[in-house]
Amino acid sequence: MNMKRLFSIVFISLFLVPVLLFAAGTKEQAKDTGDGVTTLSVYHFLDQTDKTTAPNFQYLVDVFEKANPTIKLTFEYGYGEAFHDKLQTMAMSGQLPDIVLLYPGERTSQVTNAGLVQDLRPYLAGHENEFADMAMQGQGKNGEIWELPEDISITSIMFTNNRLLKQLGLTLPKTYEELLAQGPKIRAAGLIPISIANKDAWPMQSCVAGMLVERACGLEWFDKAIAGEARFDDAEFVYAMEIIKELTDKQMFSPGTNQLAYGQGLDDFVQEKAVYFIDGGWTVNNMIGELTAEQKEYMSLESFPDIPRQKGKSLSTSATAGQGFGMNAKLTKAESEAAWKWIWFYSGPEGSAIRQKFGRLPAYNLDEPKDADPMIQKLVAYAGKVPMGYVMDSVLAAEPIGTFNINLQNMMFGTKTPKQISQELEAMVTAIGR
Amino acid sequence: MTFLQQKRMSYYLLLAPGLLLFASIIIFPVAYSLSLSFTSFGGYGKPAFIGLENYVKILGDEVFLHSLRNNLLIVAVSVFGQIPLGFLLAFLLHRKMVRNGNFYQTMIFLPITISPVVVALLWNQIFSSSGMVVAIIRNLTDQPQYVMKIFENRQMAIYPILFVLLWMHTGTYMIIFFANLQKMTPSLLEAAQIDGASESQMLGRIILPGMVGTIATTAIFAISGSLKAFDLIYSMTGGGPAHFTEVIAIYMYINTFKYYKYGFGSAASMIIVLLAVGLILILQYISRKFERRFE
Repeated sequence: MNMKRLFSIVFISLFLVPVLLFAAGTKEQAKDTGDGVTTLSVYHFLDQTDKTTAPNFQYLVDVFEKANPTIKLTFEYGYGEAFHDKLQTMAMSGQLPDIVLLYPGERTSQVTNAGLVQDLRPYLAGHENEFADMAMQGQGKNGEIWELPEDISITSIMFTNNRLLKQLGLTLPKTYEELLAQGPKIRAAGLIPISIANKDAWPMQSCVAGMLVERACGLEWFDKAIAGEARFDDAEFVYAMEIIKELTDKQMFSPGTNQLAYGQGLDDFVQEKAVYFIDGGWTVNNMIGELTAEQKEYMSLESFPDIPRQKGKSLSTSATAGQGFGMNAKLTKAESEAAWKWIWFYSGPEGSAIRQKFGRLPAYNLDEPKDADPMIQKLVAYAGKVPMGYVMDSVLAAEPIGTFNINLQNMMFGTKTPKQISQELEAMVTAIGR
Repeated sequence: MTFLQQKRMSYYLLLAPGLLLFASIIIFPVAYSLSLSFTSFGGYGKPAFIGLENYVKILGDEVFLHSLRNNLLIVAVSVFGQIPLGFLLAFLLHRKMVRNGNFYQTMIFLPITISPVVVALLWNQIFSSSGMVVAIIRNLTDQPQYVMKIFENRQMAIYPILFVLLWMHTGTYMIIFFANLQKMTPSLLEAAQIDGASESQMLGRIILPGMVGTIATTAIFAISGSLKAFDLIYSMTGGGPAHFTEVIAIYMYINTFKYYKYGFGSAASMIIVLLAVGLILILQYISRKFERRFE
């Protein structure tokens, strides 16, 4: 063989290697390794650099694997938008993991609506009453439960620094007017009246707008709006938007709130630069580690004060059943049973009790935790006493809510009016279908 | 098989793997994206053909038009900012007009070696409402509510990002020009110097004409890079607030991956491709004219 031919063969072979590798794809990992151990892949939403949630989650996994030595879970994590991007890619390429974290609303509808996951109702049968009613609402068109909610997410809590209030000679406002009247005094002291960071655009909708819509319109109106019997540009909805505009114009929110990354709101509150802080109940999870024991004594969980012409319930908030694990529709019976063991452990009594200790508000009904952190006790007590309305992003589709979030920012900047953003929401919801 | 046939066969064989790879990772996705752009595909189910509806909607969307405006500003900053500045810096270094040239060369090139996400975090730390500059101004002016209003202005919000892009990418062009300047025959410039040519005359009559090809190539890089700008802007602002700093790539990303409008997003990506090809063709036409003039 002459050198030229040898060189050609080597050259072609080198070119063919990546092609062959590409064509070969990847061999699926064996589910049953032969020693009776079932291996399942899990895709979870987790920030692995978070010093609180990451070790907490690992603790749950360790407890589960110790109790179930025949089940081996292999985890893959995503966080933020990257989680959803990868989930979509997995779903579209037919490579959905065995167990996957899903959301009850529209956020992961590309997986649930496509029939890629199992309905959990047959597995759950007989346990429905052990969960909060909100968590057992149907997630599919025929009432399917695609994921077993781990938590109840209260999305609007007005965390209050009572030490600062007392120092300023103020008391917890009972009405919206009282709250507005406190603004100048709080700002004069160099403090922020209401800490909230809205750079990501969803916090104003999820933590403020939903609650104000409940107050201004009432739960009944919202049911009608979803059914198409009321409109999102009705006067009462516009009124809720006008309150956000007024709060902005009167500088009640963090200065430059639309430039502040999520997390800054909590930072300012923990550093006692703000008197109030509006965020969801999930923040308690971080507060446990961030607040000192002394701070935990004078920080309280309150509702936004009542507004004039209020149609909704006094001191109500917005809440939704949270995310949870679902399982791949392609699993065999044995694999499905193993997957359910994890799902039930995580969202059922055992995992819920552990997560409650970590500062979560499980969807599974548990007794009030006596030995838990004071902030958890306050959260549980708060959840037990306030009426709850809808969270907008859990009932409206991704595009209308995404546009609405951005429009709230536009309204705060004055580039759109409350009426305009309400009309645009109505138009979009009508176009897409309720 | 004749020798000629064998030769042709070997060409095909050698070409095939590369072509196959190119087809599978470039041609197929582009063709697939083009076909999707005429549908209302939402991620599952059968794509429904809707003709040019996506394109009509995009071109009538004020968010898209604002994104396009932002992209064109980035193109302008790249072509008329980064390239001339990069050339000027390379010229100063090459003609040894500054002391410690190696130090400046390293410092100017340094930003491009840093990940865009890190650059975004760095500048956010400096300019955000909770950042260093704002904190200093608040302390100096005794105004605890002070915020930089430029970030809340629809027309102006993109300008700080343009500045960061200028800071980040000028070094790349400087290195390219510097390398090409070093390739120039030194005797040419020495002869000009002996003949009494000034620095500006040498620049205008010898160096610039010799660099037309390089300038055209860097401009192509700048245009294509500017139109697909995503990572730095997404990390800095996410296109916000209120779409103020959005560019077409972010517009496409949001519609595709957040709103599950794959057909719509594909149409947006096709518009990016068409824009890039169009601008590059115009640029090639102009550079050819210049080349002919200098020849």
